[in-house]
Amino acid sequence: MFLDSHKQQPGRKRPVIQATLLAAAIAACLSGGQALAYTSEDGSTQVNGFVENATYSRRNVGLSKMRNTVLIEGSKDYGEQGAFSNVSFVGAFRATYDGVYDLNDDEFGENAGGAINMQSVGGAGTTAWGQSDISTGVLGFGFDTTENPNEGMVNLGHALHDTDGGVGLGVPVRPCDVDSRGCIDDYLDFDESDLKYPEFNDRLDFLREAYLDATLPTESAATWNFRLGRQQVVWGRTDLFRVLDVINPVDYSRHNIYDELEDIRIPMWMATGEYRMGATETFDDLNMQFVWNFDKFRPNSLGQGGTPYAILDAGSFFRAMKNCWDNGCSVSNFAGGALSTDFPKHVIGIRDVHLPDWSLSNSQFGLKLEGDYQGVGFSLNALTYRSQLPSLRAVVDNADNPFTPEIESQSYDYLIAFDMYFPRVNLIGGSLDFYVDDIKSVFRVEAAYTDGEEFANTLRPELYSESDVFRYVIGWDRPTFIPFLNEKRAFLISAQLFGEYLVDHERETVNGIEAGNPNWEINHVGTLLVKGWYQNDRVSPQVIMAHDFKAHASVIAPSIDWLISDNLRLTVGANVKVGDGEQEFDDCRACNPFPPFTGDGEPGDTALRNLAGYEPLGRFRSGPIGMAQAEDEFQITLRYRF
Amino acid sequence: MRLLNTTLVAALLMAANLPAQAATNEDVDSSFFPYKNGVPTHDGLNAGVVIDQSNVGQFKEVIDPAMFEFISQGWTKITVGETTSFDLHPNYIQATRDGLGKVKLGEKSGEIEGFIAGRPFPEEPSMDDPRAGEKLAWNYKYGYNWGDNAAIYPFYWKYKDMKSGKLERTIKFNFHFLNYMHRVNQEPLPEITPNPSKLYRAIYVQALEPFDVKDTQLLIHRYENDLKRDSAWLYLGFQRRVRRLASGQVTDAFLGSDVMIEDFEGYNGRINDMEWTFKGAKNILVPFYNHNALPNLSEEHKESDGYQFVEMGDKGDCFPQITWQLRKVYELENKPKDANHPISKRVHYIDAQTFTIPRTLTYDRKGDLWKSWQIGQAHPDHHLPKNKGTGVAIDDSFTMIDVQAMHCTTGQFKGQVDPSLNPARKFTVQNLRASGR
Repeated sequence: MFLDSHKQQPGRKRPVIQATLLAAAIAACLSGGQALAYTSEDGSTQVNGFVENATYSRRNVGLSKMRNTVLIEGSKDYGEQGAFSNVSFVGAFRATYDGVYDLNDDEFGENAGGAINMQSVGGAGTTAWGQSDISTGVLGFGFDTTENPNEGMVNLGHALHDTDGGVGLGVPVRPCDVDSRGCIDDYLDFDESDLKYPEFNDRLDFLREAYLDATLPTESAATWNFRLGRQQVVWGRTDLFRVLDVINPVDYSRHNIYDELEDIRIPMWMATGEYRMGATETFDDLNMQFVWNFDKFRPNSLGQGGTPYAILDAGSFFRAMKNCWDNGCSVSNFAGGALSTDFPKHVIGIRDVHLPDWSLSNSQFGLKLEGDYQGVGFSLNALTYRSQLPSLRAVVDNADNPFTPEIESQSYDYLIAFDMYFPRVNLIGGSLDFYVDDIKSVFRVEAAYTDGEEFANTLRPELYSESDVFRYVIGWDRPTFIPFLNEKRAFLISAQLFGEYLVDHERETVNGIEAGNPNWEINHVGTLLVKGWYQNDRVSPQVIMAHDFKAHASVIAPSIDWLISDNLRLTVGANVKVGDGEQEFDDCRACNPFPPFTGDGEPGDTALRNLAGYEPLGRFRSGPIGMAQAEDEFQITLRYRF
Repeated sequence: MRLLNTTLVAALLMAANLPAQAATNEDVDSSFFPYKNGVPTHDGLNAGVVIDQSNVGQFKEVIDPAMFEFISQGWTKITVGETTSFDLHPNYIQATRDGLGKVKLGEKSGEIEGFIAGRPFPEEPSMDDPRAGEKLAWNYKYGYNWGDNAAIYPFYWKYKDMKSGKLERTIKFNFHFLNYMHRVNQEPLPEITPNPSKLYRAIYVQALEPFDVKDTQLLIHRYENDLKRDSAWLYLGFQRRVRRLASGQVTDAFLGSDVMIEDFEGYNGRINDMEWTFKGAKNILVPFYNHNALPNLSEEHKESDGYQFVEMGDKGDCFPQITWQLRKVYELENKPKDANHPISKRVHYIDAQTFTIPRTLTYDRKGDLWKSWQIGQAHPDHHLPKNKGTGVAIDDSFTMIDVQAMHCTTGQFKGQVDPSLNPARKFTVQNLRASGR
């Protein structure tokens, strides 16, 4: 299976085509200057766009991004067509080539990774992958190292922490066409060309937008507005956090949580209908929006093991676990809580991913009532959708017990063997914004209550549980003069507090370790933006800071933006993390799934529980900021607009 | 003695608050037709005269201090045009007559009573009236500035380094204005309903070019109640979100220009935010002209209908190439009540006939001249055919010069008094979302 690099790829010629298209587009943009920008004489047709290079360098890693992007967008107004007015078409095309996979392939490409050792604190100290202290020859343990060799690997979480007596897993990190181990079909199975050219895939992601707009006047002043096609539907009033803005999934592999949502929302084929009432006897503005997302389900893109940006490093964990199920794997400090262990295939890991079928029952619906009342903007929102994050359910029914010579095919409670699901989630929420003159401040509030979300839970036999979740953001914006920095132009100070409350949270302290839901029952993340402007807004320094209160992790992102001309913008910045990174949690090493071999009690016997480690569940306590503590970067972006 | 003082103060306040009983139809005639019996004159000042560095001293009395300094420095010159009457629409004048004797100031600044439409205080302001400045501010607020509605469609702003003349940035906008109340000309009259929050006026701005500000939109709702803070929203294309603006943001440079949102049209804010002082009436040169008669119009951005924008020139290309008229103005000073406001005061030169504000000088917190704000007014009968007979003095060109930074922003207008460009639905928050992709 290893080096199954000749996996059938109908689009094998795609890289050449993609590179050619991209190069042609960039060349056309640059050589012509304004050549691609176009506005027809009557203004009804417009085309414009930009080319951009984003080059980031990561401490101790080197190049982490060398993304070259072309975006071309156009619109065509058709005016009145039959009963409809304002008929128009909008399209946007985006193509990206990320050179990091060519220029730093020791870290992120075909030569990434290497041989790894697994900690075995009760045995040899460290053992090589596939040569654990508990391995071939011990009962049913061990795996075929010719299929699953010690090459192209890293230790899970290696950038952040040592194994430190906890569970440790190995992650294949090369692109899936080079090393298919741990790749999850139709979910996290990116070939090198997919990583280099992320928009060119079966879902036509190069088509950022393609929709038709039309307005249907009514006999009253109200109008119906319809939009059909590939689009982003944006709800909510806050930055960065996705409390109501959850209709489109997002691509965290582009730059973790740090890119504008505009750039990382994954467009979906949707239909929206808006009944715009305008002013009524009570409201200054009122409208109702219906959203039908009929596209085939897409989860958030979390980043694959071996890519520069993988939120929570979840993609690495998934890839490690998928490899465990498919090919077997070495696990640090497992047997007896102290010996490295080579699990055979089909014992632990991730077996399947159950992506929702493309069916009417799996489509997603939303309803929003939005308006303005006496100077207060408000919305009421309802949405039924599929979770864009996977739930790992330990419900595998054909696992093997490695302590017995025969191959079983059955389920075991508390066994860390999972299928991935994307459960249906129902959301109700709302938002407000208003201005308080006494303190010259605008407040933005957004809140949502969901049911149906699922979280890891080591106290449950199936290792997950459902919890209702209440999330909210309070935002505060205030233009403020800081005279010693600028006498004539106010700085924008914008702060937000994001809160998350797991209503059905379960957590117990067992034998000195914490077990249950690793996620915090209540946690808050605060953000602060201070932005200034100089030279007629052509130079704009800013600093964004975020702090995860429970994770004790922070990020500071200073940057300076220089608009060199109407067309050319240079942004230089840094992204520096401070505070804590790794966090420990019950890793279910002692969950006793195979009694009497793994213990004398019942499966899940809490009397046996006394082991915790950083992996795999500590990531849910560290959060996106804590898990990226090792990802300090220096960043330069140059964008030419046309 | 104290009783006497109290009585005197009370009497003065009462007098100030009394309805404008003194205003008569003659006052209305004088207010709207100040040149009926002749135009102002000044020795040596005739149509066709060019005032430049060599002769500016001769005309110091009829040039505002900033413009005098500019000409003295040799940065620009003034070509004098014939003083002409900019008659406002008859319906607006009639509304003023209908309101005679019914309008008075409230007890507090920002309060007015009995106003329906037209010019609230058509009587000649008196230096003896402690609230004369406030009355002028009301006349401006309820002026026939853009009529019941209008659009600047399109509107080019250019940011320039005045020293080098380097063009730094060109932004193309559409601006739209709509009066919800006190309408006199276009149906529905006198108010668009429903109007639950009693909006008086709305301004909607849409940035079209360049790409980095494309889809940026601004919406301002001004309430009839002057004591109520404006609501303002900004739509940023790169966020696809509407953001409510805090009031402080109306005193910031709008999209990096030298113009604050509060500067729009001369002054774009609440009366109650400022202390208003009438400094006297005088005759000075102000930028009033016939657009179609200008000798040099710009060849740049030519419209498909043949319309040409005002040409810019002189120092740093910061000065509209127009003609100026000797006209009666009211000098009106406004001082922000908010100590944190970035300026110490503005001095407006309000055109007595139209109550537009063609010249404003802005002073920084230290009291030094910071900006010179000039809005050129074009006669509607010598502009686009659709503007003929509208009785609207057309804002047609501007320059905002930051004399401290030696930087300017110039504006070239295509003003259109055309209700079809300004339906009420364009002035809703939802329209920002709908228009912004």
